[in-house]
Amino acid sequence: MNSLSKTDKTALAALLVGAVLTTAAFLFTFLVTPLVNGAAVEGTFINGVFVENKLLLSQKIFYFHVPVAITSFCALTVAAVYGIRYLMTRNERHDLRSRVGMEVTLVFIIMTMLSGDLWTRFEWGVWWVWEPRLTTYFILMLLVIAYFILRTSIDAPDRKATVAAVFGIIALIDAPICFLVTRLVPTSIHPVVFRTDSGLPLLMLLPFLLALFGMVLIGFAVFRMRLRQASLAERLEALKLQIEEEL
Amino acid sequence: MSSVDQKATSANASPRPPSAGAQFVLLLKKELSIEFRTREMISSMGLYALLVLVVFGVAIGQTLWAYDIMPVAGGLLWVLVVFTSLLGLNRSFNREKELSAFEALLVAPLDRGAIFLAKAAANALFLVVIQLIAVPLFAVFFFANTAIAPTAPLVAVPLLVGSVGIAGVGTLLATMTMHTRGRDVMLALLFIPIVFPLLYSCVSAASMTLLGADDLMPFVQATVLALGYDAVMIILGWVLYDVVCGS
Repeated sequence: MNSLSKTDKTALAALLVGAVLTTAAFLFTFLVTPLVNGAAVEGTFINGVFVENKLLLSQKIFYFHVPVAITSFCALTVAAVYGIRYLMTRNERHDLRSRVGMEVTLVFIIMTMLSGDLWTRFEWGVWWVWEPRLTTYFILMLLVIAYFILRTSIDAPDRKATVAAVFGIIALIDAPICFLVTRLVPTSIHPVVFRTDSGLPLLMLLPFLLALFGMVLIGFAVFRMRLRQASLAERLEALKLQIEEEL
Repeated sequence: MSSVDQKATSANASPRPPSAGAQFVLLLKKELSIEFRTREMISSMGLYALLVLVVFGVAIGQTLWAYDIMPVAGGLLWVLVVFTSLLGLNRSFNREKELSAFEALLVAPLDRGAIFLAKAAANALFLVVIQLIAVPLFAVFFFANTAIAPTAPLVAVPLLVGSVGIAGVGTLLATMTMHTRGRDVMLALLFIPIVFPLLYSCVSAASMTLLGADDLMPFVQATVLALGYDAVMIILGWVLYDVVCGS
């Protein structure tokens, strides 16, 4: 428990490096990387709006949006892995890590949804389209929210931890299936537009990778800090109980 | 218990526990005979399905003459299936909660995987029986003014595949939510996002058959994806059921 009394230097360092990297990436993409030609599609109607080829400032969201999305998947994986470890060891600390991992996942999913939706509104002229990526993230968000509601609806701590861990595992497996199915199932409702299939040119790849590493580091730092805060809160509760008993 | 002990007890002519397969058959028979005596599941699910159809009638019946229902018929059919199955899943565990029937099952030296499979198989069977009644009714109520495509009977395939998956993942989730507060809502909250990929592919396959596709490849593709989902979730349930039931 001694580690709790010190500041988490690893987390601080990760946060600092992450902040520098992402800031550098955003500056780079606005100042150096040229505007891209949007719409590799040759004129497609999406929700009744004709998508045309033009220089896209909105594409800059990509450098924020995609790293955040990837980080959310990383966090979900971390949460599920700690869930599995909990089921194997029945050690409460793993349950706490799993829960904190889910919290980080939710934060990053919400950031993904917001940035993605801004882009959708600007590019496609609609607030919402049942398009594979949007749909997948929407479902993922519902799953993570359901995870927390599930936790609050069970009282017994070990039962809560077990059921939550199992649900975390199911969610981790369900998310890629969602992604796969929404892409592979043929649908006549909306055309699926792929914009970033092809390899990125260096001037786009560089800031993207910087932002990606930066964002993953920030995610890691937030996870560590929140974990420390939650552990401290638990310890405080334990100490309070102890004092009450002694009085 | 070591293998030597096991051999010793079996040599002592004490009855050997039946194999997992035999347990499955036994448990399934138990589910079916309870249903045969009470007719609780079929009657409640059947009535509920009928009520959903009545709501559909009010919602779309007034202007049904003005448009072709076929493009949305597949989706409506699955609304019916999802809500009816939710009711059924909740009910099937109501019965287990009464008089602690499920606890008694867990105390018995039974293979937990067999319990899961028997419960899921029974739920799938009930769902299929309900569909045998509700789907023809759906057609009678809403297809009066439209030409029915020659491929329409194929809609039974995604319905069957979907029922298996719904019963599999639904049984797992219903067991998880059995001891939560606000159980009915909790199950819906977990079930709908988790079952989303299955729903998505089944609606796609059903719509294609009802609309009369010339090329059956997309239909096969959607059905195979749904089958894949079934396989993944049933294996997952079978593996995790022991953990979910607790010690």
